[in-house]
Amino acid sequence: MVLLSKSKYYSLYQSDQEKCYFIDFGNKTVKASFCQLLALRQKVNAINITNHFYSSENKHGIEILTLCNKEHLFVLNTSETLDLQALIKDSFISLGLSTASKKTVPL
Amino acid sequence: MKDIARQKMSISVETMDLLNQQITLEAHASASYLAMASWCDQNAFTNSASFFYKQSEEEREHMMKIFQFINDCGGNAISPSVSNINHEFSSLEDIFESALDQEIMVTKSIHNIVKECKNNNDYNGENFLQWFVVEQLEEEKTLRDILDLFELMGRDGIALKLIDERIKTE
Ligand SMILES: [Fe+2]
Ligand SMILES: [Fe+2]
Repeated sequence: MVLLSKSKYYSLYQSDQEKCYFIDFGNKTVKASFCQLLALRQKVNAINITNHFYSSENKHGIEILTLCNKEHLFVLNTSETLDLQALIKDSFISLGLSTASKKTVPL
Repeated sequence: MKDIARQKMSISVETMDLLNQQITLEAHASASYLAMASWCDQNAFTNSASFFYKQSEEEREHMMKIFQFINDCGGNAISPSVSNINHEFSSLEDIFESALDQEIMVTKSIHNIVKECKNNNDYNGENFLQWFVVEQLEEEKTLRDILDLFELMGRDGIALKLIDERIKTE
């Protein structure tokens, strides 16, 4: 297993043998295919984080995230959400699929 | 380390995001043209109605082209949600002007994605979008030609009827 990226709370690994990814959420590790990782990226990026601060829409700052076609369910607070966004951004740079120039958290 | 990601996907995630936004824009254009078709139908501009029904279908085809391209590249195409469709127009000319404005907006968006592809050496994306660059030029021209008719023929009742009769429906 190769470590692709690491943020404050989470890490992402690639397994060459199984041709898949493992996301270490601290309390739980989730296995994901590439497509599932891509879907997670879109979900995480679609989160409107400003609602955590300036809106009554999400005054508790809680995000409920389902993963891998609803196989897993996570509840994240504001800082965990931001951290996961950073992890995902860095991961796609490591994967060579992103043109973003700078990693948020250096490995 | 194996390059599993690259084996699965052949465009950058940034290009994919922009194309997904473009899908929403094309879907919005399609729905918008449907609203215009409805207005024309209700106001007895039969040819204009047919014109916009056809435009609406074409925009959906554009959407599907991008949708399939994303998935063919191994990306994740997202089915768009469309809202805020305007159904209120003050005149036939207003409709065609709104249509042109909409096309100009779409052109700008396409050009922006081409620019991003160029900056990021995304040859697949750039090549794919060339078709849209040409298409946008044509669509703008069609609408501009129709708007010229109002200058030429005027805006009173009979002129509007004559303009409508000149709108190509196929
Ligand atoms: Fe279009
Ligand atoms: Fe168009």
